[in-house]
Amino acid sequence: MLLAQILSVAIFTVMFILIILEKFERHHITLVCGLFTLVFVFGIGMHSFKAVKETLSIHSMFVKGFWLATDGSHETSTGINWATIIFIVGMMIMVEGMGRVGFFRWLCMRLAKMVNYKVKSIFIVFMIMSAFLAMFIDSITVILFLATVTIELSTLLKFNPVPMILSEVFCANLGGSATMSGDPPNIIIGTSFGYSFTDFICNTGVIALIALVFMVTFFYFAYKNDLKVKQDVDITTFPTPESAITDKKGFALSCGIFILAIVLLITHANTGLSVATIGVLISFLTLITAPKHIPEILKKVDYKTVLFFLGLFVVVSGLEQTGILKIIADFIGKISGGNIYLMIAIIIWISAIASAFIDNIPFAATMIPVVQTLAASSGVPLTTMTWALAMGTDVGGSATPIGASANVVGIAVAGKAGYPIGWKNYCAKAVPATIITMLIATVYIFVVYL
Amino acid sequence: MNKQIIISIGREHGSAGHEIARLLAKKLNFPLYDKKFFTEIAHQNGLNINDIAKYDEVPRKYFFSRTVNGYSSSPEINVAELQFSLLKSRAADGDSFVVVGRCSDELLKSYPNFLSIFITADTKDKIQHIMQTKNLTESQAQKEIIKTDKARSVYHDYYCKSKWSECKTYDLTINASRLGIEGTTDFLFQFINQYFA
Repeated sequence: MLLAQILSVAIFTVMFILIILEKFERHHITLVCGLFTLVFVFGIGMHSFKAVKETLSIHSMFVKGFWLATDGSHETSTGINWATIIFIVGMMIMVEGMGRVGFFRWLCMRLAKMVNYKVKSIFIVFMIMSAFLAMFIDSITVILFLATVTIELSTLLKFNPVPMILSEVFCANLGGSATMSGDPPNIIIGTSFGYSFTDFICNTGVIALIALVFMVTFFYFAYKNDLKVKQDVDITTFPTPESAITDKKGFALSCGIFILAIVLLITHANTGLSVATIGVLISFLTLITAPKHIPEILKKVDYKTVLFFLGLFVVVSGLEQTGILKIIADFIGKISGGNIYLMIAIIIWISAIASAFIDNIPFAATMIPVVQTLAASSGVPLTTMTWALAMGTDVGGSATPIGASANVVGIAVAGKAGYPIGWKNYCAKAVPATIITMLIATVYIFVVYL
Repeated sequence: MNKQIIISIGREHGSAGHEIARLLAKKLNFPLYDKKFFTEIAHQNGLNINDIAKYDEVPRKYFFSRTVNGYSSSPEINVAELQFSLLKSRAADGDSFVVVGRCSDELLKSYPNFLSIFITADTKDKIQHIMQTKNLTESQAQKEIIKTDKARSVYHDYYCKSKWSECKTYDLTINASRLGIEGTTDFLFQFINQYFA
């Protein structure tokens, strides 16, 4: 077992370093490392076909509970989290369909027009919209569209778009923490532990809402002097929101599918439909309502991210199967000395700090078995640990330019338009904002759950 | 010369490559695309010229940036790509110009009337040049040359398949110490006229 443990840690470490170095595409890295885990850790190190089977977890998809849990039970999954993967692919297809018809651009332009193109009003509305959209849609897509429209509006209205983009990025990460379908860490956490959309919205959702109020206020006062319009503009010449719609029938159908997706997610604990089922259903509806565009939509799905997840789950399973994650859990238990407040604080803050510098998805995937073990050994409810982990990993990544994918995309869109954002400019407001949000989360969890 | 001609000048720090490029552009009556040009464009578009200048021809900081789906958080990469995009659009518009650095040797080599030149110089001349232009001591000048050339090499080789300063990367490599700044400019002017005649 010692050999297997050493190999699993080595493979995991090499995987992380290679991901940071970006010499190879990250899905190649995780797939190869995943293969090495199967062969060297499970095969040579553990001589365990059972570990391989549990990790690949293909059998889980043939269990009724994977698709429909009518008796309130759920499958707690280990290894490859197929529910996450199927759900993410489903949402990607839906989002590509929505993007194709101009939904996101229309929404942004509509809201900007509603507030009469007043920059400070757009600033507040876009932050709230960013948070709301990120509750259901991946934050990369949200920021891609939002930042692009922000740049366009900044050219028309003659203002500096950087403060707006940075605030939108933060709010997207915050919104993603509110639900199970927002940020990938939450999707992984929710499907691993069998928590529903409602579970998240009633817990992390409340924390996120409180934090959002603080953050909108914070960013408004932090940036209000940077939101000055450089000269008067004639808003009658601006493009209309309707001009963003490229396919009216498709637009109506996309709106319907999006609303359906939200309803299904909110009610999935009652209906028993799993997120995998919802993912399949909404992707199917998106494709059959746009048959001529199926190749175009499917081509744009981010398969590399899906493959990245596949490999990642296998590598993390290597750490879990060899007991490494139990060692980490015991270590956290030991250093907290049984003090549950300290234990929760460690989870929130270590998750936040780690997520600020390394990709929060592998971190969350690694921490899931850790918090599960910790909850079992310490007596602290798993739910409490879950919310602490979710808030730490989702929001901690907002602190630095590299902490979360939304940050990277927002900075890239701004940079390509001639507004390069360095660490100093980014962190000046993002770090205090993250600290404030983490404090809110810590206090809330302490007061409400402990 | 009525046809489009693009001249790319790569240079070692201290070789007076930029000065030669400026004189050459003047003789050819072509615009010069250098740092000043890019910051002026930024200014015209209402962008912060200090931000653009700060990241101009600077290599990416490895551990301080990430790439997601082709989008990079590196301001150095984003400014570089903005400049590349501007150069490509000027070239596509049929403009003739002289461009200093910015991976133009590889970026624009598909254009039919394109010439890439690399300017080097003797080490002692480079040190002397930097000492005079930047008011540095010999030791400081030496360190600056090594540092700047290293940064240019890393920057160039990150975006290009070819290697910075390697002779096979360029159509012509010339040591400016042999003919001096004016002499090198005159030589290159004659070369260009003959080559594109």
